[in-house]
Amino acid sequence: MKLGVVTGVVWASKKVKELDGCRMYIIQPVSVNGNKTDAPLVAADPKNIASGGDMVVYVTSTDAAQAFDSGFAPVNASIVALVDEIS
Amino acid sequence: MIFAKVIGTIVSTQKDENLKGKKLLLCKEVDHEGNPLKAYHVAVDAVQAGEGNFVLLSYGSSARMTEATKNAPIDAAVIAIIDNVQVLHTVKG
Repeated sequence: MKLGVVTGVVWASKKVKELDGCRMYIIQPVSVNGNKTDAPLVAADPKNIASGGDMVVYVTSTDAAQAFDSGFAPVNASIVALVDEIS
Repeated sequence: MIFAKVIGTIVSTQKDENLKGKKLLLCKEVDHEGNPLKAYHVAVDAVQAGEGNFVLLSYGSSARMTEATKNAPIDAAVIAIIDNVQVLHTVKG
């Protein structure tokens, strides 16, 4: 899992049914001190925990589908936690 | 997932059994503003997308995780047609 900041939202009314009701966000991967690391990516937010500017934990690859209750969704990345603070 | 623009359709009569009835779209990778990048992908259509559509593309084994694409020998699927991308925040550095 990696740290990222929510920088944008992707609106799509027509999507596969596995993604019904799930918002998609643009995530900028960041380091612990909040600096940019890799290129931005699109991540699903199946548990509805993120909003603009939030620092989040996201998971990539096949494991991203596990963030959905069904465990079955065509996503490459999912937001799994909201960061309150890093100590 | 990555942003892409549908630039064409692949027509194929001889194909894998598990690809029968599936539309193959030629997609050009773009950034969040729709500016073209270098890569292109041949992706299975899971949302009745068409030429010119700004879409979200899922790649790798995740692309198989839809009703329309499960068990198919594919590594890219069009999973959403994008209406709009809204920038909410900018990260410095």
